[in-house]
Amino acid sequence: MAAAGEMLLEARGVEVTIDGIQILRGGDLDLRAGELVAIVGPNGAGKSTLVRAVSGLHRPSAGAVSWSGRELAKMRGRELAKVRAFVPQRMPVPAGVTVQEAVTIGRSALLRPLGRMTGADRAGVDAALARAGVSHFADRALTTLSGGELQRVQIAIGLAQEAPVLIADEPTSQLDLGAAIDVAGLLRKLADEGLGALVVVHDLALAAAVADRVVVVHEGRTEATGLPNEVLTPGRLSRIWGADARLTAEHGRTALHVAWLGPTA
Amino acid sequence: MLAAAGASLALGAVKLPIAEVLEILLGKGGEGPNHQIVETLRLPRTVEALIVGAALGTAGAVLQGALANPLASPDVIGVTGGAGFGAILILIAFPASIALVPAAALFFGLLAAALVFGFAWSGRNRGSTGKIILAGIAMLSLFTAATTGLLASFPERAPSALFFIAGGLTNAGWEGLRYTWPYFLAGGLIAIFLIRPLDRLALGDDVAASLGSRPQLIRLAAGFSAALLAAAAAAVAGLLGFLGLVVPHVVRMAGGTSSQAFVIPASAVGGAALLAAADTLARTVRAPIELPVGPFMVILGVPVFLWLLRKAV
Repeated sequence: MAAAGEMLLEARGVEVTIDGIQILRGGDLDLRAGELVAIVGPNGAGKSTLVRAVSGLHRPSAGAVSWSGRELAKMRGRELAKVRAFVPQRMPVPAGVTVQEAVTIGRSALLRPLGRMTGADRAGVDAALARAGVSHFADRALTTLSGGELQRVQIAIGLAQEAPVLIADEPTSQLDLGAAIDVAGLLRKLADEGLGALVVVHDLALAAAVADRVVVVHEGRTEATGLPNEVLTPGRLSRIWGADARLTAEHGRTALHVAWLGPTA
Repeated sequence: MLAAAGASLALGAVKLPIAEVLEILLGKGGEGPNHQIVETLRLPRTVEALIVGAALGTAGAVLQGALANPLASPDVIGVTGGAGFGAILILIAFPASIALVPAAALFFGLLAAALVFGFAWSGRNRGSTGKIILAGIAMLSLFTAATTGLLASFPERAPSALFFIAGGLTNAGWEGLRYTWPYFLAGGLIAIFLIRPLDRLALGDDVAASLGSRPQLIRLAAGFSAALLAAAAAAVAGLLGFLGLVVPHVVRMAGGTSSQAFVIPASAVGGAALLAAADTLARTVRAPIELPVGPFMVILGVPVFLWLLRKAV
């Protein structure tokens, strides 16, 4: 685990072009150990593209990304697997695979191509299951899990990589309120334990409640970065989301007061 | 598999006790007609059945894993269609060069797969599962049409092609394996290295990438491995496509897991056992007439498959 506050990821001016269309024009973000950073922005702003680019899933066409000082462009797959785990919004659910087997596959990132699992690797799998709180259903098939359970298992697969950074793309978007609270709490706990967590979130009230910092992405650029209450101002909510809304936070509770049917007096 | 291999060595137009077969294999028992039968006819044929069966089972398992599609088999990447065309081309158009049939099957099988992957890796969304399958079906249709065209143009020569299309093993000794073993070996080795990457791919391209693999490279390597195995199998034993499709499913349903560390080796063993058993049956039921193993294997395999399908969740 990296020392608290250590800079793990720096991205500057990241650009991504897919099939001739420029999706990202200037993505900037930093991530430190023990920090949970939420990426927010309207649909199509480039949030997912930004986290995929810094993860090495999309090759940036320009910009600088470095992981603990090492350039992303020079890192191979196995090296990348040791610095970050990427948790997609929803992975395919293959039949005939149990939770334990899936997390064991996650652990394989640390093995040589034909290397065998050692006792330490099996302990690592058990630790990942326990940290994500899924040990009690480790023997169940993935196909029998609820959305919230599956999301926790996906996080466990990422934890089995033992990378200092976990990147999650909209982990709560398809979940009901209770499951979203559960997953958000898990990510907060992991950050408190020293992990760097980079999370794409749609729910601004949720982002404000769990994130140390918020990165606002708009039209392919990082528009603002900072504390939730400093960044998610009514002016910005109006300009970027076109919403008449106000964020409130007190005693660990957050709320987004939205004029759903347009401005009122 | 051992039982199937034993039966394959002992049974046939001449039935031999298994003890005598063992003695002959261990180099005892001197010379004699039974010695000849085992050494020059049954042993090569049994080994062929085991290798071809294992190759097709492995090819199917690797492709179903790589394409995340239960319908994937060597047919889907064009290999079977290409191999069939190559063999029929020689049998129909150049019947004097019949010795070239395996080489032509191998060449056109690999060519078809190369075309499929060439098209699937061009343009937008390169290397995606959908693109590979669609390019494969298109290539299969093209080569099947060409084969049918050949058969229709020379109807009087069509019977000679029938045995190849049905699929079957012959008593040609070690001839079939002499030129194809490097392909079986290379395809099999790649498949072993693909076990872990394919497990990762089962959790999706993003998870595989998170774990440091490159999803498109995995699919390309899997296609290459399956093309080598299936083209070599077609060169030795004709078109036995059913085996590659069904064996991995049977293995998954019977084993209760999709873990490739189980599915790929078990598909190899299962394919070998099924083909050896079916071949033994095909040359014993109407002995001394030998029937092509292809249809026999389907008759043997489909009831088991359907029974498992009913039980599967």
